[in-house]
Amino acid sequence: MAISSHGSIKRFGIGRIVEHQANALVFAILVITGLSQRFHEYKVSHWIILSLGGVDTMRFVHRVSGFLFTALIAVHIAMGVYGVVRKRWPASMMINVNDFRNAMENMRYYFGITNHPALCDRYDYKQKFEYWGVIAGGFLMITTGLILWFPVQFAQFLPGEFIPAAKAAHSNEALLAFLVIITWHIYDAIFSPEVFPLDTAIFTGRISRERMVHEHPLELARMENVPVEEIVKHHHGPAGAKTDAGE
Amino acid sequence: MGVGRGAYRWFLVLAAACLLIAAPSPAAEQAPDASEGCLTCHGQKGMTLTFQNGETLDAFVDAAKFRDSQHRSLPCTACHSEFSEQNHPQRVFKNREQYASTSSAVCRQCHADEQLKKSPVHAALLSGGNRSPVCTGCHNPHSITSVTKGAKFLSENELCLRCHKHAMSVTLRSRERISLTVDAKVLEGSVHAKLACFDCHFGFSSSQHPKRNFGAQRDFSIAQAEACRRCHFDKYTKNLESIHYAVLSSGNLNAPVCTDCHGSHGVMQARADKLKSSKRCGRCHQVIFATYTGSVHGTALVEEHNTDVPICTDCHTAHTIVETHSQDYRGKVPEICGKCHGDAALMKKYGLYPGVVNSYLQDFHGVTLRSYQLQKGGAAAQPTRKDIATCVDCHGIHDITKTSGPKTNLVKARLMKRCQKCHAGATEEFPDAWLSHYEPSLKNAPLVYLINLTYKLFIPFMLIGLILQILLHIWRYAVNR
Repeated sequence: MAISSHGSIKRFGIGRIVEHQANALVFAILVITGLSQRFHEYKVSHWIILSLGGVDTMRFVHRVSGFLFTALIAVHIAMGVYGVVRKRWPASMMINVNDFRNAMENMRYYFGITNHPALCDRYDYKQKFEYWGVIAGGFLMITTGLILWFPVQFAQFLPGEFIPAAKAAHSNEALLAFLVIITWHIYDAIFSPEVFPLDTAIFTGRISRERMVHEHPLELARMENVPVEEIVKHHHGPAGAKTDAGE
Repeated sequence: MGVGRGAYRWFLVLAAACLLIAAPSPAAEQAPDASEGCLTCHGQKGMTLTFQNGETLDAFVDAAKFRDSQHRSLPCTACHSEFSEQNHPQRVFKNREQYASTSSAVCRQCHADEQLKKSPVHAALLSGGNRSPVCTGCHNPHSITSVTKGAKFLSENELCLRCHKHAMSVTLRSRERISLTVDAKVLEGSVHAKLACFDCHFGFSSSQHPKRNFGAQRDFSIAQAEACRRCHFDKYTKNLESIHYAVLSSGNLNAPVCTDCHGSHGVMQARADKLKSSKRCGRCHQVIFATYTGSVHGTALVEEHNTDVPICTDCHTAHTIVETHSQDYRGKVPEICGKCHGDAALMKKYGLYPGVVNSYLQDFHGVTLRSYQLQKGGAAAQPTRKDIATCVDCHGIHDITKTSGPKTNLVKARLMKRCQKCHAGATEEFPDAWLSHYEPSLKNAPLVYLINLTYKLFIPFMLIGLILQILLHIWRYAVNR
């Protein structure tokens, strides 16, 4: 990863940027067209249904978006597996024991027990939580969505009760995903004091070296080929050198 | 004649005495002496004339009224020409009618047809055909006053009923003979008791009695029903949108008009008697009515006189009766059933679960149906709209049955059949996807219940956790600065 003259580091290639934007768009459409069915009694839902030309059109849009979402997930997994297996990409999204340690470490930091945040690698535990939330939730949504789309076919080998059960899971999971995104992700990407007014990394593909020091010191240390203590020393003072989250 | 010869002799004596005693006076001009003689006997109550068929006629003449009448200057003999001071012939009449028509011929000696025809009532009567008009039916000859002076009749209705209370009829061009008789008691018992005849019978008044020219009785009924709109304009316009009006305007004159359901002179509030009201629909819709009386609602109405149950008009409405096969009407079905089946107090009375309507509305079909109704222009504006299953598809329409008891399987069979109508290839497992109005619980649909419960706990847990983390993050950031 190259460090530019402005002190910024390349974080994402064009592929990841396009992938995020496509996902964001499809997710937004799915949420709007889906939740207005769950909350069909509200005026705003009425407005959405009417604006989209009726509930049938809205469901069509929802299903097309669901199909696109499935395609995005499939392409993502295929590329990820191919990249890791054949191109020897580091499997930086995998959850490991350090993520749990980092979470505890950050809790201690928040309560003032330690004076520095956890030292994280390319993706911190919050980002991994969101990522795997999308993957796992996505699988649940795709499966239950298909059951709702083709109830007759599924009822041929599943008990009939699975159809309302799929509806309950689909609708609840959607609400959960929506709430997580509008609180956690929007905070992290917009309202967090560290990035406010906007974390531009996913748009420009670049991140400042300063933020790398704060948020991804292990990755930076590896990139600059120096010990992580060197990276964080100036920011955290002497105590910062002592970390159990090191390599 | 009931007046005996003895009385006649008495009259002569008295008449002679009067001629001697009476001095000239204004009263003498008004009531000529000769009449005084007649009144000696006929001025007393209790005299009657008996006809061959046993009918009687009061032969009493109220002297005071006669002196106020238009005919006060005439002697009795002017009209009763066979009678004189010397002659009081015994006459024989078959019946009252014969006597009345004979008497009325006398009137027309003075009142020429040309004069009479100026009055529309008279004109109509004169052109009435073979039967000669009976003047005395309306005009009491002894107390007759000028029509223009008014105060002749107590009310307009009394004026009309003078004639129309009698058995009268008219033969139309269609050879239908329709009765023109109005039963005053029926009129008084109706909700229109305080209205005048002319309020509905336009064109008629105390001075107008136009000749109507209807080909058939139905033409008359349809035309006359237009009178209702003068007061009931809202109902009239509603009816214009109804299927009955559409059928009528397509040329089927049997389609009902106002009076067919509400009656005419005995007009009643149609809902006053629920059983009668539904029977009225049954007059034309016989098969449906028979089906209805076999349904859970109809049986309760007919056998128990239960007025909680819906009758025809509860679902179809009374006036805006619409085409029921339309998708717009289908869309209203849950709302129609829900009027009662969503009413907790009413359902408790019968041990029924009031959540059935909501369980439908919250489900996939209910949401679709309600969303369709949001769209403007109704089903016509939504060509891709599907026929969504509603209450009636499983529970029946006019043959609604109990879901418990011997007919449970019938409802289940209907459900299966209805699913397959839209969901081609639906197997026996498929209808289980519909939870039969049950709220998910550990007993009914435990899987759905547990999924909902899990998320009910997990969503707040997750959200509160995330928000706390955000707050901690902000707090730490603020402290560090």
